[in-house]
Amino acid sequence: MSNLSSLSFYIPELIIIIAILLVIVLDVIPVCKKYTFPLSLGAILLASVFLWQSYGESHGLFMGMISIDPFSHFFKMIFLLSTFSIILISRYEKQLDSNYSAEYNALLLIVLLGMFLMSSSINLIMIYLSIELVSIPSYILAGMLKNDKESNEASLKYVIFGSFASGLMLFGLSILYGITGSTDIGVVTAALQAIEYPLSIYFPLILILVGFGYKISMVPFHFWTPDVYEGAPTPITAFLSVAPKAAGFAILIRVFYTMFTLEGSVSATLPLTNINWPTLIAVASAVTMTLGNLLAVQQEDVKRLLAYSTISHVGFMLMAFAIISPDAVRAIMLYLFIYLFMNLSAFYMAIFASNKLNAHHINDWDGLSRKNPVLCAFMALTLISLTGLPPTAGFVGKFYIFAELFKHQQFYWLAVVAILNSVVSLYYYFKIIKSMYLVDVEGEVNKIEAHPVVNWSIILFSAQNILFFIYWEPLIGFIEKSINLWSG
Amino acid sequence: MENYSTILALLNLFLPLLSFVILIFFGKKIGNSAHWVALTLIGSSLGIAVSFFANVFVDTGGPILETSVPWFSTGSFSVNLGFLINNEAAIMLLVVALISFLVHFYSVAYMKGDPRYSRYFAYLGIFTFSMNGIVLADNLLMMYIFWELVGLSSYLLIGFWFEKESAADACKKAFLTNRVGDIGMFIGIMILFLSIGTFQINGLIDGVHNGAFAGNMGLLTIAGILVFMGAVGKSAQFPLHIWLPDAMEGPTPVSALIHAATMVAAGVYMLVRIFPILTPGALEFIAVVGGITAIMAAIIAITQNDIKRVLAYSTVSQLGYMIMALGVGAYQAGFFHLTTHAMFKACLFLCSGSVIHAMHHALHELKDHDTDPQDMRNMGGLRDKMPITFWTMLIATLAISGVPFFSGFLSKDAILAGTLSYYHLHHGWTLFLPIAGFGAAVITAFYMFRLIFLTFFGKPANDKVYAHIHESPIQMTFPLILLAGLSFALFFTLPLSVNPIDNHGWFTEAVPMIENAAGLDMHVVEEGIHHAHYTAMGISLMVAAIGIFLAVLFYLLRKVDAAKVAGMANKLKLYNLSFNKFYIDEIYNIIIYKPFLALSWLCSKLDWDIYDQKFIDGWGWLTIKLSDKSGEVDYNWLDQKVVDGFGKITQYFGKTLQSTQNGVVQNYLLGGMLGVLLLIILIQQF
Repeated sequence: MSNLSSLSFYIPELIIIIAILLVIVLDVIPVCKKYTFPLSLGAILLASVFLWQSYGESHGLFMGMISIDPFSHFFKMIFLLSTFSIILISRYEKQLDSNYSAEYNALLLIVLLGMFLMSSSINLIMIYLSIELVSIPSYILAGMLKNDKESNEASLKYVIFGSFASGLMLFGLSILYGITGSTDIGVVTAALQAIEYPLSIYFPLILILVGFGYKISMVPFHFWTPDVYEGAPTPITAFLSVAPKAAGFAILIRVFYTMFTLEGSVSATLPLTNINWPTLIAVASAVTMTLGNLLAVQQEDVKRLLAYSTISHVGFMLMAFAIISPDAVRAIMLYLFIYLFMNLSAFYMAIFASNKLNAHHINDWDGLSRKNPVLCAFMALTLISLTGLPPTAGFVGKFYIFAELFKHQQFYWLAVVAILNSVVSLYYYFKIIKSMYLVDVEGEVNKIEAHPVVNWSIILFSAQNILFFIYWEPLIGFIEKSINLWSG
Repeated sequence: MENYSTILALLNLFLPLLSFVILIFFGKKIGNSAHWVALTLIGSSLGIAVSFFANVFVDTGGPILETSVPWFSTGSFSVNLGFLINNEAAIMLLVVALISFLVHFYSVAYMKGDPRYSRYFAYLGIFTFSMNGIVLADNLLMMYIFWELVGLSSYLLIGFWFEKESAADACKKAFLTNRVGDIGMFIGIMILFLSIGTFQINGLIDGVHNGAFAGNMGLLTIAGILVFMGAVGKSAQFPLHIWLPDAMEGPTPVSALIHAATMVAAGVYMLVRIFPILTPGALEFIAVVGGITAIMAAIIAITQNDIKRVLAYSTVSQLGYMIMALGVGAYQAGFFHLTTHAMFKACLFLCSGSVIHAMHHALHELKDHDTDPQDMRNMGGLRDKMPITFWTMLIATLAISGVPFFSGFLSKDAILAGTLSYYHLHHGWTLFLPIAGFGAAVITAFYMFRLIFLTFFGKPANDKVYAHIHESPIQMTFPLILLAGLSFALFFTLPLSVNPIDNHGWFTEAVPMIENAAGLDMHVVEEGIHHAHYTAMGISLMVAAIGIFLAVLFYLLRKVDAAKVAGMANKLKLYNLSFNKFYIDEIYNIIIYKPFLALSWLCSKLDWDIYDQKFIDGWGWLTIKLSDKSGEVDYNWLDQKVVDGFGKITQYFGKTLQSTQNGVVQNYLLGGMLGVLLLIILIQQF
């Protein structure tokens, strides 16, 4: 579709772009400064409305640079929801300097735009640009606490590691372009199928995987994760652990799913299937989840613990990607959606604890259930869900992933590793529950109320854990409708 | 339109639950204004029920609402959740909502000052929610879920005053007895599901119709009887009726709501829903159970002295009527009786509550804690002091006794015609059914008027108490008046007929005869009932008159000394048999509880004396000896070397891994680069 006619399908992105510009402009006018917050939220809401209305459409836009399809719409909904919630919650986070709130919101909106592009890129150049558009504002956001040494350090490490990974990826993309002569992944796929020497594409594919793997913090490209998650302000950590990861998965699925399948199924005629890609991903996923868990076990700081545990969740989701089938993609999307809610509510609880009690260490959480029984009950629910036990949505998510593994009868060893890892995660998640409920504190206990916005964010996000356990059918139905990638 | 109705149905279902949630979580804060929350929400639910009910008068040729959504599915197996509102459901919905609302209203005064005031309304809310769920459910699984929820809320409400030991025992008894029936019901549902492959009621009916059980009708009969087990428990049929009289330990408005009008009627309602798949064999079984229950409970009711217990046995007996009606195929009559009975029995219970309330307060003022406020022998002559309660209770009593112009006459008459026609069709032993029906009718009229005369006529048993009796406040008398009004026949026959002996009206229009898919020819049944109608009416008028006349003779005019007759009857142990409820509790005690306790005693004896004391302790002794020896070896070798070694290895790994995360970014890049190389090597190798 030509550039001009593409614009009418590009309204949500246009709204975000306008909002970014307006926020930057309003920030300089002292009287208007306070309107940047409602403006950002309003823009996201408006974008959601337009996005929702155009759900189901499928087009290639801007001369085949990006596509809009139900698949990207699904991910865009995740991005909008998480960004909205993070902007909202950040206002009540003590760590952040309110002087820079407009700047902060603008950066989050830019990341949002980048993620929108990431989920719908179908061109090698666009893939690279969109990843950069997400990464660069993320570097700044990680260093948002200007006077905090750790935050600055995190930001710098993020920049270095990020540039390293994108460098490798750009290298891979250019080799791929050299081999196939096109930057459109549809054409690239077609060219790859006719290739004579499949060995020659191993190298670029691995390099591209590095770029995506860095975004989703797959081992061994996870090194930046703990340092950045620790140094960044907590809302940003929560954000980075959810939204850009979802974007990373979106682009991972789009590129590799398109390359490895013909009309939704792995076909034996493709030269690419000679590569033992599934085993590669399976090994990576096993290592990722084990390493993330082993590191999380060691942590005594709640935020660090949650940060490491996100690595192990990535391992879980990758597990399903070892099997390239529509059902496996469905399982990943379901897990991502549920993970969004449970991870955000766990991080919000950490924000609440550090804001009101200055509690960072697990021991600081002792007897918290007596100070705020309602939130602690929901936190316990979330932690049970993160572990993947019934009766919570986390169980449903894990169930679908395991079901795929067993259905394909290929990776029983991986399932065993994953189950053992679930047990390990049970240990460290329940450390928090133990500290909240079983450790008694001496003396008088004062009730501590969270700010209503924080309070209800935690309750609403964590209530999904029960809701999607009891009734996940519509969610699965919606995801199934969404596994519909635009092709040519 | 469809969506709009679905939303209304959802609201109707969930508003009472909302009331429960609000009151259970914020009850302490809301405190004594809890009833405003409950009344508003239940009132809205009632409004919706009325709007559905209005559709009964619009003949659309199909159900008012039929909708379902998939709940979960794996492979080809899927379970749906949905609503099916046909005319029967709409009527039932209104009955539930109306009685529930009136009971809420009544309870405002009755439960005033109770320390758990808000919790009481919360429980009423969850009960109404569960009951609505049963009524709306379009499939048996969903019905079963709500069925259990009803059991739970009934448990909570019966044991509401759990400090009283009798109440705590009664709620356990009710729950456990219901479980017995529910297990049967579940097995029955599973048989149906495995044979037909769906839980949907309409799907099951179609399945049976299309011959899913062809050549295997025996299994369908068994399934029908098993599902009926659920109704036996919930609707208090013989032999599981024992819980209902004990359940009177709950607050009286609860008895009116749960144990008279709604929950106990759930069993009948369930049978109405699945009626088309009940085989003639299963129906025969159902009719017999209903007949036994009707006559037996009526006989027990004669000799009870507790006002609520009389009503409880009367309820059991009337439920027996309804079940019997379904059994003989008089589907319409059974459901009709359910509706009319709900009105007058709720009225009777609320009236008894009013009397007990007055007695309780009078005794309280006199600081008399020994006299039982529920014993009719302590009452008498209350007519002048409590005129509204008296008149409303009299009207409801006339209705239940089957006197013309009152609703009970119409519905009971139709049931009796059903039993007569069943006898005409089948002959032989089925003579038992009309005998049970008419016999129970005589006795019902007798014991109900006995209750009226003992309570409201004659001389006061205790003048001091009598002096302190007052009529109940308007919150309590208003529901009485309304329900007494609805006990007139007119409300059920309008607008088609104002003839008091003709039951043809909107009700018979709304609930037409349906086809039975399992082999019962409903046209023959209908024909038979039509023929037997006038005979049945004649006999039933006569028996009601006899019953009332006897009661007048015994208790109003006191021409015959009741005690003497009881003594004479007791020569054959008849009085004791009735007074002790046919010794059923005692029989259960001997054949079930005692052997069970003996068995558990034996098990515990075996477990403790032999297994625990000898075997385990023997091992213990052996172990201690062994461990003494091995302890030395263990500590010196295993502990110090192997275990600590493992710990050290784990720590070492942890530290090593930790050191990869040392914050030196060069190392990270190195790690990443090594990873790339490793991946490339890996992919070449495979």
